[in-house]
Amino acid sequence: MVRVVIKNLTKKFGEVVAVKNLNLEIEEKEFFILLGPSGCGKSTALLCVAGLLKPDEGEIWIDDKLVTAPEQDVYVSPQEREVAMVFQDYALYPHMTVFQNIAFPLEIRKKSKSEIEKRVKTTAELLGISQLQDRKPRQLSGGQRQRVALGRAIVREPKIFLMDEPLANLDAKLRVRMRVELKKLHQKLGTTTVYVTHDQVEAMSLGDRVAVLKDGILQQVDTPRELYDAPKNTFVAGFIGSPPMNMIEGNLAEKNEILVIDLGVTMFEPPSWMEKKMKEAKESKVILGFRPENTTLAKKCQKNAIEANVDMLELIGRELHVHLTVGECSFVAITTPTEDVKVGENVWMMLDEKKSHIFDGRTGERLI
Amino acid sequence: MKFPKPRRILLYILLILFAFAFVLPFWTGFTTSLKTKRDVIYTTPVEPPPSLTLEPWIEAFNIMEKPLFNSLIFTLLATIFSCIIGSINGYVLSKIRFKGSDLVFLFFSIGIFIPYQTVLIPLVLTMSRLRLYNTIEGLILAHTAYGIPICTLLFRNSYKEIPDSLIMAAKTDGAGTWAIYRRILLPLSSAPFVVAGVFQFTSIWNDFLFGLVLARGSEALPASVALANLKGTTTAFWNVQMAGALWYALPVIIVYLILGKYLVKGYMAGAVKG
Amino acid sequence: MTAVLILLPSVLLVGYFVYASIGWNVVVSLSNWEGLEPRYGIVGFPRYAELLNDPVFWISLKNNLLLILLFVPSSILLGLFLAILLDVKVRAEGVFRTVYLLPFALSFVITASLWAWMYDPEVGVLNILLENVGLGFLKSGWVTDSSIAMYCVILALTWQFSGYTMLVFLAGLRSIPESQVMAAEVDGAYGFSLYRRIMIPQLKSSVLAVFVILMVFALKGFDFIYILTGGGPGYSTFVLPLEMFRETFSMTHFAYGAAIATVLFVIVMLIVVPYLYMSSRRREE
Repeated sequence: MVRVVIKNLTKKFGEVVAVKNLNLEIEEKEFFILLGPSGCGKSTALLCVAGLLKPDEGEIWIDDKLVTAPEQDVYVSPQEREVAMVFQDYALYPHMTVFQNIAFPLEIRKKSKSEIEKRVKTTAELLGISQLQDRKPRQLSGGQRQRVALGRAIVREPKIFLMDEPLANLDAKLRVRMRVELKKLHQKLGTTTVYVTHDQVEAMSLGDRVAVLKDGILQQVDTPRELYDAPKNTFVAGFIGSPPMNMIEGNLAEKNEILVIDLGVTMFEPPSWMEKKMKEAKESKVILGFRPENTTLAKKCQKNAIEANVDMLELIGRELHVHLTVGECSFVAITTPTEDVKVGENVWMMLDEKKSHIFDGRTGERLI
Repeated sequence: MKFPKPRRILLYILLILFAFAFVLPFWTGFTTSLKTKRDVIYTTPVEPPPSLTLEPWIEAFNIMEKPLFNSLIFTLLATIFSCIIGSINGYVLSKIRFKGSDLVFLFFSIGIFIPYQTVLIPLVLTMSRLRLYNTIEGLILAHTAYGIPICTLLFRNSYKEIPDSLIMAAKTDGAGTWAIYRRILLPLSSAPFVVAGVFQFTSIWNDFLFGLVLARGSEALPASVALANLKGTTTAFWNVQMAGALWYALPVIIVYLILGKYLVKGYMAGAVKG
Repeated sequence: MTAVLILLPSVLLVGYFVYASIGWNVVVSLSNWEGLEPRYGIVGFPRYAELLNDPVFWISLKNNLLLILLFVPSSILLGLFLAILLDVKVRAEGVFRTVYLLPFALSFVITASLWAWMYDPEVGVLNILLENVGLGFLKSGWVTDSSIAMYCVILALTWQFSGYTMLVFLAGLRSIPESQVMAAEVDGAYGFSLYRRIMIPQLKSSVLAVFVILMVFALKGFDFIYILTGGGPGYSTFVLPLEMFRETFSMTHFAYGAAIATVLFVIVMLIVVPYLYMSSRRREE
């Protein structure tokens, strides 16, 4: 039942600040995700937790023990932290068999032969790779190597699992399957897990909570549901969800003593419950955001609808993605495959106001 | 982070100790070359010269001037020839598919490993028949011929890295075999030429056996043999010998310090002359 | 077709200077040729019989064996040791590498001259240094002492080649992906066990390649020994290439020399051919 606490973690590589003042509290048994684009610092943070990198500032606590604190000269080596790690390229030892790879962490700790055999056997069975025990890594498929890497991590019964984009090298179908298996594994073992990925679908499906990072700075920590429905800023809003949230810039203006948003192509009259919040806005520049699935298309002009031209249609199984352009901006609307739209047509796009968001045009912070 | 702090100091100590051991022969040679005969006898070899003198260097140069010049000529020419031939061969063997290209490559590769003693007698006979015995031309021919295998290997391995799609694109654009070599491969060959050139230069310059056997007592005397002669005589004392050795070492040391990384690439290709 | 034409001159050159010459050498070894006038009559194998009865041949063979058994492993071990020391990313790594590799880049004539100077019993640095640190009783004749001369040669050659083996092994160690090292650390492996269990076992192919090259040198190396000892004192540092040279060019026993050269060739091929075969097969894997 292990918690991980990260306080004010900062790590620089020369001039570049990879992680800036990161603060996270990961609860016991949680499947915690670090999500963000390449270079956002998520892997760096993970390696610091593992002890493979020494940060410049901050503290890291594992199981209520201080393991890293550069300013206090505290540093526990990775060998002693009782963490297990799974790497993107699996990092299997090519000259050892599957059995020896999984047994290695136990062997290094001088466990008895019988204990090693028992534990490796159980782990292999758990992951369905018992029949591969005598093979070498180069004889295995990607998915099998993945499982061996997992086995090597599990067999030690560590305090926490650290995973650095472990599914990134698998092909799409396998990735989906492994996601499910990882989730089931976590439910079964209950070990606290910190998982790094750039794939927001993975993050949403696997995570109990997700921390979104950009350029080394934490943007938001929340459950997937909250991240999706209540993103803190335009970055999180645009990163989570595929296709991404539609966003259009506008200016606050007064029309007939009502606060409206001048979107250029149309005037957006916010419903009354939004007005109060909008009056608090400090900037006149705002961004209106709405998800593709929260739009409906109409053939005739409606109130608060945006006129757009149909650019392209994508039929994706049970959804029809309609790509629209308005002047320089493009949008995506998701509707049913039976919708009557043709390329080149002009339609009106209406948003579900209750599910729309308004962001500060300068800072990106969400207002509504 | 493979070794913790206290062990690191031990690491540096070991590295420095070995560095001293490796440098020792050079240091003693160097200091000796700058000492007078008297100093050589009365001071320890590690001490710097109490009275610095360039006499040994001048004397050594007088003895070795012509041989050094000889070596320079045949080394440069043989290097150029073997590199050009190796480059063309490497091109053919890596980019033109024909039956038996692997066999031809093997044919050349074995040539890298043979002990030269095995071909020494025929070589001498050949050279004397061609009236190239004791000539620079003979040395050039020998070094070029025996340099072809390794140069071919170096260039072929290097050209293999160039994607075949480039060649195919050139072909569809209408380029013939020779044009492909000249306009596509050659411009991309600066690295392998330096690698092969540096490797061949040092190998040929350093050679002793061929020089000893093919051009011993003559106008075409290479520097390596001249230096060996220096050692044998009683007239050239240690300081002159060391100076001679250093004169001979100079071109290679310069190449090593400036183009060292290319030399390393040549070594890594897995073959060594000697 | 053009390919064949382009390659033809090289094939002919190499074919003549290498393959035909080897054959020619064998033919000479089967003749009676002594003295400066070539005599080509084939008389069969009497030269080889002479070899078997020649004590110098057996001494030379023994010394070559000594080189294989001592020089090769010690160069490999020293090179491996230096490579591991350097693998951990030290400052001034480039300087150390340059120093260790320099001997290898130089001609054997130079290095042998330097070592001859170091080994000189009267004024050479080794004896003088030993004297000065109070270990005077360890002074020796080095290469003038026939009982240890060969070992002095081996030491000097190890010095010359260790930079090369270090180079190859360092590249091998560095080719191991960082993630594996990290995985091993997280699994609990420290310094020595990390190298022993994870990194060195992956150097197999490097070790093999270096092994073959050094073995071939141990058999065909001529320059260094010729300059340092000339084979002496007596015959104590004779090796096959030296004997071949002396018989052929000093004593004009051409046929006999050719026989020695052929024996040398066969031994080298026994090592090289299986290795080339194995490595081309492994490349296909």
